[in-house]
Amino acid sequence: MYQSVKCLDLSKSFHIGRSRKIVLDRINLEIKKGDKLGVLGRNGAGKSTLIKLIGGVELPTSGRIERGMTVSWPLAFGGAFQGSLSGHDNLRFICRVYDLDYNETLDYVQGFAELGRQFYDPVKTYSSGMQARLAFALSLAIEFECYLIDEVIMVGDARFTQRCQDELFGKRSDRSLIIVSHNMNFICETCNRCVILHNKKIEEYSSIEESIRVYEHL
Amino acid sequence: MQSSERRSHLLGHERRAASRHASPSLLQSFVTQLRVIYALIMREIHTRYGRENIGFLWVIGEPILFCAGVAIVWTAMRPSHENGLKMTAMVVTGYVPLTLWRHAMGRAIKAYAVNSSLLFHRLVTPLDIIIARTTLEVVGTVLAGSLVLGGSIFLNYMDPPDDWGKVYLGLAFVIYFSYDTALIISALTERSELLEKAMSIAGYLSLPLTGAFTMTEWVPAHYRWILEWSPLANAIELIRDGEFGLKVVPHYSIPFLMASCTVLFIIGLFLTLRVREHIEIL
Repeated sequence: MYQSVKCLDLSKSFHIGRSRKIVLDRINLEIKKGDKLGVLGRNGAGKSTLIKLIGGVELPTSGRIERGMTVSWPLAFGGAFQGSLSGHDNLRFICRVYDLDYNETLDYVQGFAELGRQFYDPVKTYSSGMQARLAFALSLAIEFECYLIDEVIMVGDARFTQRCQDELFGKRSDRSLIIVSHNMNFICETCNRCVILHNKKIEEYSSIEESIRVYEHL
Repeated sequence: MQSSERRSHLLGHERRAASRHASPSLLQSFVTQLRVIYALIMREIHTRYGRENIGFLWVIGEPILFCAGVAIVWTAMRPSHENGLKMTAMVVTGYVPLTLWRHAMGRAIKAYAVNSSLLFHRLVTPLDIIIARTTLEVVGTVLAGSLVLGGSIFLNYMDPPDDWGKVYLGLAFVIYFSYDTALIISALTERSELLEKAMSIAGYLSLPLTGAFTMTEWVPAHYRWILEWSPLANAIELIRDGEFGLKVVPHYSIPFLMASCTVLFIIGLFLTLRVREHIEIL
């Protein structure tokens, strides 16, 4: 089977009071197996919305998404975790939902996230770096074919960044990634494709360098 | 049988692969749904009651304080008999079902918006969320109610039911009706803010319609139809028929209960399966 994620004429609008705000207007995008796609755009351009649509968290207003591969939940701040629960409780929930082996997952997540005893404290007490480590560890405990990363990767310390490099770009180099980031160096180093979200539309340029140049002149 | 056998052969990597949840058979979907509901119930217990002190025992503790509190206060303050029926028995048979229904309804208001982080996981659906929440409420209140009932019988404040079968059947209808209410209320409050605000008032105003504090027979004949059209009042009458036997003239109809609960269930299911697009993801 042809493995890709396709957005077909994807539109999304939100109701704000009585008015309707269109965020994405008939977007077409295809992410193939192994693609590392960077998504650039000004604040409020709809990057997170696009990621949430692809992850199936938000539903499109019109158009559709064809998922020919398994797509992770969007790795972002907030989302996916219950702040009042501990990292450990969140892990148990994920294990139950996705039917994972508890001990194996616990070992992996503890080894990857290195949260130590704070693993048993409520997630809302974590620093943003610790939240990012937990989010990555838990989503890497499940083998998705396409990972959705909304900013979180940038807040880790050097050691965590190295871990992510090994796990995500080393061991899982065959996977697809969709990364939202304002860090141009990171996009340059990791992505092989890059799109810009602007004025409700999506634009792809022939090279990463060109899209960054365009983005900086928006 | 076959699936559990296959599961044990899943090696680390295969078991971790998200792709095995991708295109499930009907049986697999069902197993997944049960697993998700179980995960949600466990999670709900931990969020609501935490891990400190008696923790999950609060599932029973909360409704027991309610039911026992009301039973004790009413027993102490009101005459020991009302229309020839023991006051405690009236309170227990009325207040326990009422608590079950009201708690299920209360937990259903905006149940999805407050839990929107769960919807990050595509295996979790709104139907799973509301079933999990309501089940926790039902299990807690039924256990609490059994303890209050047992305690009242033991202390001789009420007699054991005349016909346990009718009590169980009535309780089953109360539970059925509570699930219906939860499905409908959770879906509607997600669609309309006005309705969300109106719910607490509606909850109070509907109290006389629940038949929790009166028997239909005691109501003037030309008003009885109101209670006869209320599923909860019907179910409570059925429970009281089981408790008091020949001492009461019950007004209920099992075909009506079956029909009304099933119609409401279908409406609730219909609304819940279409609620996803109305949920605000925070």
